[in-house]
Amino acid sequence: MKTPNISSDLLGAIGGVPRPDVDVVVDARDVNKWFGRLHVLKDVSIQVKRQETVVVIGPSGSGKTTLIRCINHLEKIQGGRIFVNGHLIGYREAGGGTKLVEDKEKNIARQRQEIGMVFQRFNLFPHMTALENIIEAPIHVRGMAHDEAVVMGRALLERVGLAAKENVYPNQLSGGQQQRIAIARALAMKPALMLFDEPTSALDPEMIGEVLEVMKELAREGMTMIVVSHEMGFAREVANRVVMMDDGVIVEEGDPEHFFTNPTHDRTKLFLSKIL
Amino acid sequence: MGAFRSRGIRPALLAGCFLLVLVVVGCSGKTGRAGFNFDWSVFFRDVSPLSRGVLGAVYVTVVVSVLSQAIGVALGIFAALGKMSRVLPFRAIANVYIWIFRGTPVVVQLMFGFYGLSAAHLWGWDAFTIFGFKIAGEIQAGIIILGINEGAYMAEIIRAGILAVDPGQTEAAKSLGMTYGQTMRRIVLPQAARVIIPPLGNEFNNMLKTTSLLFVLSVIETYNFYNIAQGQNFQPFEEFLGCALWYLLMTTIWGIVQARIERRFARGTTVSSQQGSGWRMRFFGRPYIGAGSDGLGGH
Repeated sequence: MKTPNISSDLLGAIGGVPRPDVDVVVDARDVNKWFGRLHVLKDVSIQVKRQETVVVIGPSGSGKTTLIRCINHLEKIQGGRIFVNGHLIGYREAGGGTKLVEDKEKNIARQRQEIGMVFQRFNLFPHMTALENIIEAPIHVRGMAHDEAVVMGRALLERVGLAAKENVYPNQLSGGQQQRIAIARALAMKPALMLFDEPTSALDPEMIGEVLEVMKELAREGMTMIVVSHEMGFAREVANRVVMMDDGVIVEEGDPEHFFTNPTHDRTKLFLSKIL
Repeated sequence: MGAFRSRGIRPALLAGCFLLVLVVVGCSGKTGRAGFNFDWSVFFRDVSPLSRGVLGAVYVTVVVSVLSQAIGVALGIFAALGKMSRVLPFRAIANVYIWIFRGTPVVVQLMFGFYGLSAAHLWGWDAFTIFGFKIAGEIQAGIIILGINEGAYMAEIIRAGILAVDPGQTEAAKSLGMTYGQTMRRIVLPQAARVIIPPLGNEFNNMLKTTSLLFVLSVIETYNFYNIAQGQNFQPFEEFLGCALWYLLMTTIWGIVQARIERRFARGTTVSSQQGSGWRMRFFGRPYIGAGSDGLGGH
């Protein structure tokens, strides 16, 4: 099932003439992914522009989480190409561009430094305090001086509203607080792109708001973000574009109002009727 | 937990047990079937730390145990990572190593490694001097062979510890741009340590006792010291009882240290590992109470 690529029409709507080389942060082309015999991504193509916030929705098993995991090469792909800031992610071309060979681990690690990721289950390091979680990668991956990292780490804690929790271990924090620390940890690497994998799905309802607030703030500051989430309120407020996935393909994409007012596809209508 | 806090009592209790053993032994001396007389003077003379050579022998036991265990842990980490490697030759090397050293008796490894290798002119085990101490070839061989043997056992323990760490931790580390080595060193192994430390403590307890096998290389450690003594005075009861008490002292002290280490590594977890460190727990344990029970039992 092939979908018409309508994103080029929409680019005009969000302002500015596209300058592909500078403005496109994520450029995924015809990505194919199998888990064994299960075809989870079928020729998926998506472009995300600098400072754009894209919300990906869709039923479970539709491939939306897999898609963003492929973008920082936590998952291998079996076909297509993914570029972030113009760099081919996870692979290098061989045989005159006909074949993809997985890149060296070191190069993949370097590429991931530019891509922040926030997980559904937070995945904070339990043996480190909130501040230590944040400054770990800047010190040991970027080689930042410890004192400098601490200053930056404290600023980030302030930014997510948890300055008082600097010396607290993750298991003493609520889910919402942990997720805000996780966002700060990802931001500490000063990424060009942030991926959010259902960041509020594991949270109690009263904690969802505080996390979304941090994310909204980020979007307003111009961070490029791809958010897998069913928080339609969030999508309506800050998303430049909503992408609906089902069964490994992008079914429909458009601005949030389009989804609220007149979604085109039956699958989208059915899905939205269940979550709204 | 309040009832189990009785730190001050521990040394007194140990001394009490010690005396109890002596009393039992003393009585049996008078009532023994063949009129055996327990020789208190020889027992006290040879069990005493002031006795010539005892502390030296105990020192050898402790130093060999610590160094062998350290080698074992280091090799165990490499073997565990090798066993889980994506690279086939690494997996093969790790598996063959574990297969050989877990599949043969440690005595055979000691004899083959020391006498066998030197007879074949493969490795001479020459004595060398470090920091002014002369280290005999027998002791070098003992430390290294016990260490290599231990590594094969530690490999499985460490592998289980690594597998117990949530895969999400590795993903989080990777997503921050950490390499495999950084992820292991900074994120996975420190968390695996919580799972590894308790069985590692048991391994070290075993190691303290296994070093007694170094008598086959004529190393004078605790066991061999008493073995030689009883060979000279033909009083095995007194000598080996003294020997046993020294080992009991070492393993008991280690048990206390181990409990402290386990508490230290529980940092950042919700699970309390406070239990099990009191002397009541040490000597009397606690009955198994099924899940969901209020602990009062009774019917």
